[in-house]
Amino acid sequence: MGNMKIKAKVKGDTLKCKVQAKHIMLPYNAAKKKGVDANFITYIVGKIGDKIIFEASTSQFVSKDPIFKFKAKADGIKKGDKLEMTWTDLSGKTVTESKKIKGL
Amino acid sequence: MERRKFLGLGLAAVALVPVSVSAIDFRKEKPDAWTAHKVDEAIKALYGDVKAEDTDKITLKVPKIASNGGAIPVSIASDLDLKSLAVFQDANPESAVIAYTIPENGIVDYMVKIKMKGSGEITIVAEGKDGKFYKTAKKLEVALGGCEG
Repeated sequence: MGNMKIKAKVKGDTLKCKVQAKHIMLPYNAAKKKGVDANFITYIVGKIGDKIIFEASTSQFVSKDPIFKFKAKADGIKKGDKLEMTWTDLSGKTVTESKKIKGL
Repeated sequence: MERRKFLGLGLAAVALVPVSVSAIDFRKEKPDAWTAHKVDEAIKALYGDVKAEDTDKITLKVPKIASNGGAIPVSIASDLDLKSLAVFQDANPESAVIAYTIPENGIVDYMVKIKMKGSGEITIVAEGKDGKFYKTAKKLEVALGGCEG
């Protein structure tokens, strides 16, 4: 499936999403102990087409292999629409993955 | 209309979008907020010297006792019309954990798993579209500290 587990479903007039990204989320303290660079997701965004429906700036204190749950209003979402998730981490790496929205 | 990637630009995002303030990378725009040790300092670095009023209109759910400090589920919900919402805690070396930008069609109903080195207090500060700031906080105990990877 790639890096992320994306679940997006419309129930009534609400879109419910659960996203889990695979990432070490290594904080500075722990990285120092291991003698490696700290690395963690710093930004994550969810889009449907051109519209942003979820956006967060994150820190080293979000858990490893982080799970994010969020909701959005479902108006305008059509069958076949995909939720596209993108994250960027401290090293500059960006990963984008998408999944079709269910329940439509 | 293009709301484009501000990831590499670090510009103020308000240019193209009249009402909502989306496409904001708080890490680029407010770097000091992420290095501040104390919760108050982090709030100031993120939002400025604002007076956030305590509110019961933001629901913050955290376990009373977190068995695993490396993955504490934090749930935040609110019906308030908010622009952004940030989560802080006072148990780690730096206090800012995550800052959400609430998009136009967004619903404030989030869950995220966070790390806390030990027991402490989680504080939420949110910026309303009305220009006001709101806050709420909850204390919790952490059985096994989770900052060391």
